[in-house]
Amino acid sequence: MFEAGAALVAWLGMSLIVLADGRRSLALGAALATTGVALVVFQGAGLIDAGALALGGAVMVVRRLTDGPVGWQLMPPGSTPRLVLCIAAGLLALWIAFSVTTGAGAALRFAVMTVVGLGGARVLSSDERSVLLTSVGLLALAIAAMAGMGDASQGAWPYVAAALVAAGAGWLPVRAPNAA
Amino acid sequence: MLPESAELVFFAAFALAFAFVFAPAAAPRRSLLWRGGAGLAGTIAIVAVPTFELVLLTLLTLGVLNAAADGKQPFALRLRAPVLAVAVFALGLVLARAAGPEVLDRFAAVGLVAGLAAGIGLLPYLHPFDPDDAVTGSPIAWMAFIGPALAVVVAGTRGLVPAEAGGVFGAMLIGVGLLNVAWGGVAAWLTESTVAAWRYSFIADWGLALCGFGLMVVDGRRAALLVLFSIVLCRLPLYLASPQSQRARTVTERPVNLVVAAALAGSAPFAGFAARVLLLRGATQLFWPLGLVLALGMLLWLPGSLRLGRSLGVPRGRQALGVALVLALNVAVGLYPLPLLEAARL
Repeated sequence: MFEAGAALVAWLGMSLIVLADGRRSLALGAALATTGVALVVFQGAGLIDAGALALGGAVMVVRRLTDGPVGWQLMPPGSTPRLVLCIAAGLLALWIAFSVTTGAGAALRFAVMTVVGLGGARVLSSDERSVLLTSVGLLALAIAAMAGMGDASQGAWPYVAAALVAAGAGWLPVRAPNAA
Repeated sequence: MLPESAELVFFAAFALAFAFVFAPAAAPRRSLLWRGGAGLAGTIAIVAVPTFELVLLTLLTLGVLNAAADGKQPFALRLRAPVLAVAVFALGLVLARAAGPEVLDRFAAVGLVAGLAAGIGLLPYLHPFDPDDAVTGSPIAWMAFIGPALAVVVAGTRGLVPAEAGGVFGAMLIGVGLLNVAWGGVAAWLTESTVAAWRYSFIADWGLALCGFGLMVVDGRRAALLVLFSIVLCRLPLYLASPQSQRARTVTERPVNLVVAAALAGSAPFAGFAARVLLLRGATQLFWPLGLVLALGMLLWLPGSLRLGRSLGVPRGRQALGVALVLALNVAVGLYPLPLLEAARL
């Protein structure tokens, strides 16, 4: 039950990122998604792995609070398709993770599928740098969380690498397109 | 690390050294060295990391860095394909690792093949392209430098899906490969821009490589390795040696242009010919009509290669030396490919 709750927190955070454009909303969404993923990983992998993800996510959240469009900008006009996407993606992931697939780790599957699906969709639909880099950071955390699905232990490397990607992505200098 | 992966890293390092020494004088050497070095480091990381999650994280990092670097296209547009590739790979991996009905494994195979096409920049997920982009920021460099290592690693993940879905995985690779052969071959022939024609010729070559990976016989893997060799150490260096500026392009029909066209078309005695023979042999072992379709598709290389060979102009000085070196290397591998294949344990 605890894992399922954590996975729902991850979905809520990703939904916030999909539905908002402002830095505060993005930071809150990233914090929720990171917390959800880290808690699910904590149940399966352990404290160090989950801690690495949480640390990477925390650095990303701090950076997000200081960079990007100001304010919340939650559900700006024309957000209905985004809302439908969040609900539909959540239901589809829930169905696949808890009903179609079997075995332990359903919450982890749900968390990974929602973060990867919604993060990928956000990158495909946005032009705003802060939104893109937040989605990339969360995508990295979700990929590391997949290490918990394998039969063999992969050590802490995927989690540490994902934390570095998530933490570093926010500081990436992006040049304007050279159209000359 | 797979032995073929180590070979591909060696090919990439050789191509980078070639670009540094033989690229036209106008090419910015410092940018070439930095970005090429970063690409080479990424290639090494992709083939050397022990888990598929780390491969995906490396691909994501490379994609973000490549999108953030100087280019004509906006960051958001350049970021989409690598992120899509990573997301589709990840969803495929989730389905591959989950227990459930058989259809899940087939969807996992779809995810792996779709991710591979998006990661390399092949149809149906072509990366945004501007003919005026610098070589180092162009999707051509991405698909010739990062692509081969990614393809070998993903082909090695066939074990992630059960044997029944492994057949689906191979069939989809062949389907996507044939699509790229047809589209790339026709577009390299008919497109207006010569730089775009070069790009489509890479896509056509990639189609053959995917067909080779999709065949479940050892000849297919051998053919794929030789096609990748010809992409990295024939087509890429010749592209780099060609005049990069649209205005500087001249059309010449000297013997050297015809020889270059023959190398690009995969004629005997170049490496591409050995790859095509192995591919046809593998396809015939599997399902002979596939060999017929591939043979017809290979004819599409002729007009495009003649066009690209003529666009090279008359190489002089350092460039002439580079072109001669590439042709000699490809003749050597075409005549005696065994050491290359044995080194890859194929």
